[in-house]
Amino acid sequence: MSAESLILFFIVGAFLVGFAIVFSIFVAPTSTNPQKAEPYECGIPTEGLTWLQFNVGYYLFAIIFLIFDVEAVFIFPWAVVMKEMGMIAFVEIVIFFFVLGLGLLYAWKKGALKWE
Amino acid sequence: MLIMRHELLLIAITVILLIVEIFLPNTQKHKIILPAILLMAAVTVIGFFPGTPGVLFGGMFQSTQLTMMFKNILNIGVLIVFIQSVDWLKQDQNKEKISEFFLLMLATLIGMNYMISSGDFLMFYIGLELATIPVAALAAFERLKEKSAEAGVKLIFSSALSSGILLYGLSMIYGTTGTMYFADVAPLITGVPLQVLAFIFFFAGMAFKISLVPFHLWTADVYEGAPVNVTSYLSVISKGAAVFIFTIILYTVFSKIAVMWSDLIYVVTILTITVGNLFALRQQNLKRFLAFSSIAQAGFILLGVIGQSQLGMTTVIYFVLVYIFSNLGAFGVVGIISNRTGKENINDYDGLYRTNPNLSLVMMLALFSLAGIPPLAGFFGKFFLFTAAAKQGYYILVLIALINTIISLYYYLLVIKAMLLNNSDHPIAKIRSDNYTRLGLLICVAGMVIIGFTSSIYEMVFNLSFGLY
Repeated sequence: MSAESLILFFIVGAFLVGFAIVFSIFVAPTSTNPQKAEPYECGIPTEGLTWLQFNVGYYLFAIIFLIFDVEAVFIFPWAVVMKEMGMIAFVEIVIFFFVLGLGLLYAWKKGALKWE
Repeated sequence: MLIMRHELLLIAITVILLIVEIFLPNTQKHKIILPAILLMAAVTVIGFFPGTPGVLFGGMFQSTQLTMMFKNILNIGVLIVFIQSVDWLKQDQNKEKISEFFLLMLATLIGMNYMISSGDFLMFYIGLELATIPVAALAAFERLKEKSAEAGVKLIFSSALSSGILLYGLSMIYGTTGTMYFADVAPLITGVPLQVLAFIFFFAGMAFKISLVPFHLWTADVYEGAPVNVTSYLSVISKGAAVFIFTIILYTVFSKIAVMWSDLIYVVTILTITVGNLFALRQQNLKRFLAFSSIAQAGFILLGVIGQSQLGMTTVIYFVLVYIFSNLGAFGVVGIISNRTGKENINDYDGLYRTNPNLSLVMMLALFSLAGIPPLAGFFGKFFLFTAAAKQGYYILVLIALINTIISLYYYLLVIKAMLLNNSDHPIAKIRSDNYTRLGLLICVAGMVIIGFTSSIYEMVFNLSFGLY
């Protein structure tokens, strides 16, 4: 086997990435002003330290949202083949919803949906 | 019988336990322990009924006699872990999350089962992730302890990194062959440079999971920080499942470039055994000690993997089976002592035999089995591994492994010496273990002794491994 092509692969890969970064430094037009340096957070400059601990509730909501978001992705392909597959597809999606519902019930019981 | 029986049963009991958990009031959580163990025991027993091999989902899921047997081995291991964890779960700090422990464990077991029976790299990857992510939650189970939280974070970071590397390798395999099915990929592996690179990435990703030497750095910290029962699970069952599917993929998918990966594994084996042993020599904390010893054991397992043969596959499975009983026995003793007294150092075990003769006997047997002392099963496991490697002509490798066995004997004996010979002014007080712990340790001892004496188990594995590669 030829190890040279592998080495070449790495060199070209590193070169391409490095080239893109360096090239953009030289080519891109740059302008700096105080407004540009401000962090964009709904237009208002932040007060005090931004390294705060976030309420864990945000994450819980985000995760629960994510689960049901992903679930929607699974339902689309199911909806496409539903007519051809008939009863089996229906039973399968019921089981799927049942397990997901259990998950939601669990999160609810644990108080993840309560905002404190 | 159903082709996907093991997985469906496990999913069923997971759902049952989840429903029970939802409707149990917070003060009654301990009531889930007995049903969980009984259900798991039932699944383990049902798993032994003969099943029909077959293929599902157009080849994504394949079940053979070999995978079914390995799933049974994993079931037994998880059952022992469940039984051993009861004492720890009943502590005050865990009272409210007892059921989560079982649910997460079962989730990882389901992931491993899918990983083992995968016939496609995507299925394999999904199973691997399902087997890894809940373990990180388990490692951080005592989340108020700093070390446990650290272990969880380290595990999730290192597994994210390894998954990234693995996926990169898989994408290269897809790029060069245009398919993800094991059966279709295998004839298209011709050893072009990109495929070799893909294999190296795949190997690195798996080496993280099995904690082979250049990728072992997370192991000791995670094993030390995680609760003992989770550590035992990580070191035995996760590792066993990963080694199994790794071997299968090497033998089936990458069999055409066996010459190349044999060299790679040759070097990694020597490094893993030697580094694992040398670091284990200096450890004072028993969990770290067992972590490095488990790294060394992973190196020994690779002896069977090298040099593609039916004997190799057999010895790998046999060794994992033996290793489950031996290591769970050792961790069981460390676990009960750590739970009751909080002591985890080797020095603390001075004079343990005077106060707790039964526990130290179990520990002694487990360490003898890990070291490979003849009447116990560990000896046969290692003996067969060495035979498999020697049959393929790797004499120097076997010699190095033998030297390392002697080194390992030294540090295993250090612990035994501390327990049996050393005197201490303040030995660990007498521990009255409950019935669950006794049962768990008894199963381990029985496994170590019985497997050592019954050759039929080995022959059964040997027959099932036929015609795999």
